[in-house]
Amino acid sequence: MSKFISKKDLNSWLNKVREGRRLIAPTKVEDLVLFKEISRVEDIASDYVNTDLSPKEFLFPPTEVLFSIEKKDGGVDLTPARVEKETVIFGMRPCDAKGIIALDKPFLEEPADPLYKEHRDKTILVGVACLKACPECFCSSMGGGPDDPAGLDIMLTEVKDGYLVQVLTEKGKALMPDSMLSESREAKPKAAEVSKVPAEGINKKLRQNFEDPYWGRLADRCIHCNMCSYVCPTCYCFDIRDYPNKGKTDRVRSWESCQSAGFTKIAGGYDPRANKGIRMRQRFAHKLLYFPEQFGVSHCIGCGRCVKSCPVNIDIREIISDVQKLGAKGE
Amino acid sequence: MSETEQIRSKAKELLDAKKVDCVIGYERATDGKNARPMFAYNVKDADRLIFDQTCRHNLVRYLLNRKDKVTGIVVKPCDSRAINLLINEHQIARDKVVIIGVVCPGLVKTDWNKAGDKLRDACQLCQQRTPVVYDVLIGEPKKVEPPADAYPDVTGMEGKSVEEKRAFWEKEFSRCIRCYACRQACPGCYCSECFVDRLDPLWVGIRIAPGENEMWNTMRAFHLGGRCVSCYACELVCPVNIPLSLLNRKLEKETMKLFKFQPGLDPETPQPLATFQKDEKLGVAE
Amino acid sequence: MSNNKNPLLPHLATLQNVIDLTPDVRLFQIDLNDADFKAKFDYKPGQFVFVSAFGTGESPFGLTSVAHRKGPIEVAVRKVGTVTSSLHDLEPGAAVGVRGPFGNFFPMDQFKGKNIHIIGGGIGFAPLRPIILTILDHRNEYGDLFILNGARTPSDLVFANEFDTWASAPKTRLELTVDAKDDKWTGRVALIPAVVKELQLSPANSVAIICGPPIMIKFTLTELKKLGFADEQIVTTLEGKMKCGLGKCARCNVGDKYVCKDGPVFTFKQISGLLEQF
Repeated sequence: MSKFISKKDLNSWLNKVREGRRLIAPTKVEDLVLFKEISRVEDIASDYVNTDLSPKEFLFPPTEVLFSIEKKDGGVDLTPARVEKETVIFGMRPCDAKGIIALDKPFLEEPADPLYKEHRDKTILVGVACLKACPECFCSSMGGGPDDPAGLDIMLTEVKDGYLVQVLTEKGKALMPDSMLSESREAKPKAAEVSKVPAEGINKKLRQNFEDPYWGRLADRCIHCNMCSYVCPTCYCFDIRDYPNKGKTDRVRSWESCQSAGFTKIAGGYDPRANKGIRMRQRFAHKLLYFPEQFGVSHCIGCGRCVKSCPVNIDIREIISDVQKLGAKGE
Repeated sequence: MSETEQIRSKAKELLDAKKVDCVIGYERATDGKNARPMFAYNVKDADRLIFDQTCRHNLVRYLLNRKDKVTGIVVKPCDSRAINLLINEHQIARDKVVIIGVVCPGLVKTDWNKAGDKLRDACQLCQQRTPVVYDVLIGEPKKVEPPADAYPDVTGMEGKSVEEKRAFWEKEFSRCIRCYACRQACPGCYCSECFVDRLDPLWVGIRIAPGENEMWNTMRAFHLGGRCVSCYACELVCPVNIPLSLLNRKLEKETMKLFKFQPGLDPETPQPLATFQKDEKLGVAE
Repeated sequence: MSNNKNPLLPHLATLQNVIDLTPDVRLFQIDLNDADFKAKFDYKPGQFVFVSAFGTGESPFGLTSVAHRKGPIEVAVRKVGTVTSSLHDLEPGAAVGVRGPFGNFFPMDQFKGKNIHIIGGGIGFAPLRPIILTILDHRNEYGDLFILNGARTPSDLVFANEFDTWASAPKTRLELTVDAKDDKWTGRVALIPAVVKELQLSPANSVAIICGPPIMIKFTLTELKKLGFADEQIVTTLEGKMKCGLGKCARCNVGDKYVCKDGPVFTFKQISGLLEQF
């Protein structure tokens, strides 16, 4: 016996949940499907595998004021930013929830980032299991799965006329109490078939082949835009800078990518990663070696967004496969 | 021989004779349908080169990091105009490039995992199917009838009111995530310090916010005024489908009207916006 | 530790004094405003702080003072970028921000009883000064002290006003060198690695701590190893572009180690084991 909610009841619930909160859900924007704040439940997209951009922007915005600086009476006043409203992110796929688990690691590790923590504490994640996968999805090879509820507060699985419901946390229970749900004998539908990528032991292989000229050749076609880092649900490199704002100054945190030239350039001109190949290697070493070994969770969640968006087809699945084969010949 | 076979043959010849350090061309991407740039360093690599209507990248921007080496490169007509632009601006030397020009059938509208069969809008209006500079020509030179209106999209925008135009661009730029793929893909964008990376003075900054997105995109278009070679690689790489070519094409139309100048047709003609003639009048005070 | 409620929020401080060390390097003496935080602010040689020039941003600077002397926080700032230029525009009395202290520190306990060779080039000498001050204030706990301070020209030598104090301390030898002399210089004109070779520094019961531009470190390291110094006996402090100082913004890593958290102090044995070799 599982818990169940009808489509009609779910829509009423979403309308109710919207009161006093931000309701974020996937919606069609031109040819794209993006997570946006929605004002009408009817605007929620239904026929999509995953959104084009990840939901990390609601916990870790592309641009965010950390605090404002005001010069006053010969001194300085610092006013940290606060998060006012609660947010409900609806329609999150299991891979993106794994992405949030990964983001939590650096941001919440002591000393915790207070702004991220406020966003995180005030956000409820409502996921929808994947019954269809796209050819680029490979979550099951990266420690996840199309119906893996890890990281979510509520997990929904679509069935005839409604959804099977798993309420996983206290936060989820507070938002969707048991009394709202009915019982159902519906069998859990088969989860999506997901492609496989040979990621087992990739960290060791990367470490062994760290100096291989593979990285330089791979970087030949990279144009060093920021796209892979920006569409990725788990990339979190950021820049901090002061900007004037109507007589005050804001200290602002913005997304940045380790792929852009000048990411590691210090004043005075020295840049340890001026070389394209070394920058390329840094991305994949961080993703597949440093982060998993430091935090114990995968940093690539297999959503395939970078694969779909890279203008020159730098494909992490191809890279994982290539690196596994490096050093095998002529040892 | 098909274009692909001819390109492979020529590339192998160049690499075998060590006339070039590498040949930059296209190969099949991992979705099995589209093309992606590739660098062939030897005869074995050259066997992966292809050419078809999904070869949308302007490879000329890669020449900017290979100035000291002799490089072979596969170019479409729009890409070949970029080579002339860069020679004109003293960024590359003609004798450091071996140009394999391809008569272009036009690119199809493609996306990841979808290679369509309809020609791109810009390719439907293209009047130059034969490269303007090359060492080797692949395909028979083709002449195209100029269309009645070479800029129907621009004319369409010009017909809108200021409020409509403002609303249109606000909506489009709100999606911009400042990935700078447009800048990185463009052969004309090669400033060692882009104005958005400049901190002192701070022109735009790294904030991903509506006002700044507008500044970024419009200023970039202006910096390409009179220089854009109409490859529209910028629009092709944009992950959120902003119609960037509209901005460039408006400036192209104006440049043609004022100066009868199309960038990149040859490497010698001075650029109108970078040159001052004594007898030029702006017609402002008259 | 920094403001533990919000590690990215600077503590307000006041610029007490500025002293010109060279034409482009200025010593900033900074006083923390909050008495409680000031009383608890403890730091060790090798650690660093972020100093905010409000309105421009903040940058990391090695602490060049020692906590046990209970004076103001001192950092040596070379005017080379936007934040440092804004800092150089400030006058005593100006408000600045301080975050920190961050990073690991020189293992002074392990240095006790050993002969210490301090080799610094240009502004790279600044993070080594706390080691000298600690040794001078606890002279009997350490062996011989050798200090080699080098710079491009005589006017670029930092802490020139302290040379007499250092040179006159017991069992202490100070050597200066420049790459190019001026009209008044009568001292040594040689690159630092050449001086190390000429003086035949002995590795016996010794530790060498070097800091300076990457190329100076590279060649000095070669000379020290030729003289018989083992990798564990050579210590340095790395720098990198930093934004958070907490190991969160994923920018200052060298391989899988963060300069801000696992460093900035590393022995050469640790550095040669790093995945990235810069």
